[in-house]
Amino acid sequence: MESRSPVYSAATKQEKRYSPPWADLSIIGIAGSSGSGKTSVAMEVVKSLNLPWVVILVMDSFYKSLTPEQHVKAHANEFDFDSPDSIDFDALVQTLRDLKQGKKADIPVYSFVHHQRQEHTTPLYSPHVLILEGILALHDPRIMDLLDVKIFVEADMDVCLGRRVLRDVKERGRDIDGIIKQWFNYVKPSYKKFVEPQRSVSDIIIPRGIENKTAIGMVVQHIQRNLEEKSEKHSATLQELRRIASEEQLSPNVVLMPQTPQFIGMNTILQNPDTEQVDFVFYFDRLAALLIEKALDGTSYTTKAIETPQHTKYNGLGQEGVVSAVVVLRGGSCLETALKRTIPDCITGRVLIQTNERNEEPHLHYLKLPPGIAEHSTVMLLDSQMSSGGAALMAVRVLIDHGVAEEKIAFVTCAAGKSGLKRLSTVYPQVNVIVGRMEEEREPRWMEKRYLGC
Amino acid sequence: MSGTTEPIPSPAQGVGPVYRSDREKPTATVSKSISYENVHVLPQTPQLIALLTMIRDQNTSRADFIFYSNRIIRLLVEEGLNHLPVVEHPVTTPVGRSYLGVKFEGKICGVSIMRAGEAMEQGLRDCCRSVRIGKILIQRDEETCKPKLFYEKLPVDISNRWVLLLDPMFATGGSATLAVETLKAKGVPEERILFLNLIASPSGVTDFAERFPKLRVVTAFIDQGLDEKKYIIPGLGDFGDRYYTL
Repeated sequence: MESRSPVYSAATKQEKRYSPPWADLSIIGIAGSSGSGKTSVAMEVVKSLNLPWVVILVMDSFYKSLTPEQHVKAHANEFDFDSPDSIDFDALVQTLRDLKQGKKADIPVYSFVHHQRQEHTTPLYSPHVLILEGILALHDPRIMDLLDVKIFVEADMDVCLGRRVLRDVKERGRDIDGIIKQWFNYVKPSYKKFVEPQRSVSDIIIPRGIENKTAIGMVVQHIQRNLEEKSEKHSATLQELRRIASEEQLSPNVVLMPQTPQFIGMNTILQNPDTEQVDFVFYFDRLAALLIEKALDGTSYTTKAIETPQHTKYNGLGQEGVVSAVVVLRGGSCLETALKRTIPDCITGRVLIQTNERNEEPHLHYLKLPPGIAEHSTVMLLDSQMSSGGAALMAVRVLIDHGVAEEKIAFVTCAAGKSGLKRLSTVYPQVNVIVGRMEEEREPRWMEKRYLGC
Repeated sequence: MSGTTEPIPSPAQGVGPVYRSDREKPTATVSKSISYENVHVLPQTPQLIALLTMIRDQNTSRADFIFYSNRIIRLLVEEGLNHLPVVEHPVTTPVGRSYLGVKFEGKICGVSIMRAGEAMEQGLRDCCRSVRIGKILIQRDEETCKPKLFYEKLPVDISNRWVLLLDPMFATGGSATLAVETLKAKGVPEERILFLNLIASPSGVTDFAERFPKLRVVTAFIDQGLDEKKYIIPGLGDFGDRYYTL
């Protein structure tokens, strides 16, 4: 017997990383024969949950492009679409691994007319739960390792054939002879050889597909529990980060606006509840314009020699690269007037992050970023106020996931609490933060209500 | 350097935030520094230099010239307003906290020297919505070659107001001197006048600072000097022409 190797204590360095719920993706695989009702089951599950972060990924998107000879065969119903060889499992595994790590993935688009993968792709980002649906969803061992729940949907083969005939005639305009030929030549043999064996490796078998309300209800409940766990974990991460951050110093990249008499004067007007909304908007726009001017000081410039109309030379500076903005909705939209005053044609992305008031958990609802954002020299992230800092953390993470380097992000906000700022700067110390008013204690978001009037 | 004909060159230096290393700061010509307490030059940030580069460039279109000069003018007005006295004004915020704020108690007005100074009115209004604006027309007298006051229309209570005097190019300071004397004759104390301009000449600003020691000058840039036609160099050409007609 050998002596035990030394045991090292776990690293004591505290975890200063922020992990959004989509970096902890759960994947549910649904396999079953063609016509067994997999798609209906998956749709029913998503419909009952009705949450934007539960997404179905159909394996059909990962069909391999066919060669011209194969294409001819496919038209003669002589190509085996039911064999594992027809699926690009490597690409699928890579996609699932990326998503599992919280990264953005580009899902291929497959044309059933041309039997080719299209040029364009569909971006997929930030699902909390992904349902992978396909006849061979439980086939590849690499995928099996990534699946949290493995479901096999079962139906009588006669029913499957009946459904397939109806679907292919109605939706894909095919003739019955062809369908029957394909069924007996490929679909059924493939079922015996590849599909049915998945039954034994599944966790749950759902007989009678869509009609089985009890089984679907169970799956829905399972996902709901899973989402609740993720939500609790996410809130706990945020709480833990606040604790760690409270002992940290503010990063030097956090810049508080100089508190000049005019700046304090504007802040006084904004914070006075007696101020009329029309005045609030005016002074907010004026103050926000100064914040944006300040943020632009930190962007990249390069030497630029020019000639004046009097033909004298001047060695000045010019902006280097593209400066764009991403508005954190809804609060950030209040800064857009000021943004347009400074850069009228600023490329602007939008992201809607709503914070659950009960547990302070931010949720990403909507995302539209400009193309090529990763190449921009500076991306300003605009929000009217930072309260707990959770939405800011999430917004920064979204940009980083889309290839924007941390040091190229400038977070611009009119007011922030110190704890929120520390939380952001502890996790992302390279992010430049421009803040108009810093408070010891955080305050609820109220400025957007005053600006927008509701 | 021959002294009399060639003005002393303006300083060239790396421009950027303090936390950046010199290597990361692109080099540009910045404002000359002048050691008069009543002359305030805007911080020479890379962005301000980039804005000035835009409006100096002879290839900049009129639309861009107007837009970028307005941005600088707003920064000038914001800086100018900082020199107004304020009184404490504590408020209870909508979230129930107390904020020790301030407010300006006096009254202000703008006075633009026609025509180029009028180009600065938009920037002033962007910061002070319903501000009163007086106008002064000063032209060179063809006979004496000296500036002459041709027209003025000022708020009647101007002697009780703080005055933001607007003229973008501050070359010899001839018109500005006459304008200040006009204001003083109307009862405005010198210490309540703020003269805002985009580009100043070192001689103009020195002469002015000594002549009116209580008046404050706020400028974005002190340029290299004046040419034989008394134009600021490198300058930006005729501001009024570039803003209104070219």
